[in-house]
Amino acid sequence: MNLAVLLDQPGTLAAFHFSDSGELATHVVREGAGITPLMLELLARSCVANLAIAGMEARGWEALTGQAGFQPLTGLSVIGLEWSVVVGRNAAVVVRNRDADYEAAFAVLRRVEGGA
Amino acid sequence: MHIVKQIGAIPGVIAAGEYAYHGDDFSFEGALTAEFVRIVSIMCRVNTLTAHMQSEILDAAAGQTGLRPVQGWIVQGSRMSFCAVGNYFAMVDNRDGALDEVVRTLRSRVGDLRGEVLPGLYARIGGDVHEALY
Repeated sequence: MNLAVLLDQPGTLAAFHFSDSGELATHVVREGAGITPLMLELLARSCVANLAIAGMEARGWEALTGQAGFQPLTGLSVIGLEWSVVVGRNAAVVVRNRDADYEAAFAVLRRVEGGA
Repeated sequence: MHIVKQIGAIPGVIAAGEYAYHGDDFSFEGALTAEFVRIVSIMCRVNTLTAHMQSEILDAAAGQTGLRPVQGWIVQGSRMSFCAVGNYFAMVDNRDGALDEVVRTLRSRVGDLRGEVLPGLYARIGGDVHEALY
């Protein structure tokens, strides 16, 4: 997976790839960002946990309401005070909120995870 | 203009609402039933608190990050997305620009949530919230 492409996006502080069980596989961090491997290890765990929860909610919502459009999930994001984490299937980026373009981040994650 | 009305007027927004952090009160506009919004409110509350818990652990274990306190979250599906900021939510069609405009508007109108999240979340119960919680 080409994490350099993800790190090239405006405002991106780090990009990482994680396994289906939440283990950090590879990562790149912008110099001076202050992001440690431990932060990314914990974030990778939370990415997998949150994808699983969101998947259950999406499946349940569609079954309950008959409304389609959430499945399959394509990503999620947690918005913090200064940073956001934008998550795809097995990769994620940490972005500065003031530069964040969530739609663009989801799109580039889909593109990179699709092998482009 | 009330935040819910402002969000509901953004092209691509299917429904928008305000949920309570305490109890199951809510209000909304758009193409959902009251029962469905009640369930949305429960999901919003739990997901927000889950993200809050994760950001607390992250900060405590790995040092200060820019994720604490959590301001909101997004779930993106194949054709629509769901966004929650503060105690507001929106269900958005995945048309270009709609999700970013919803997030931008909610962040701007709600403002930065600082300090302890839980007293803020439960502020609407009134009185001494800190005393009631702790």
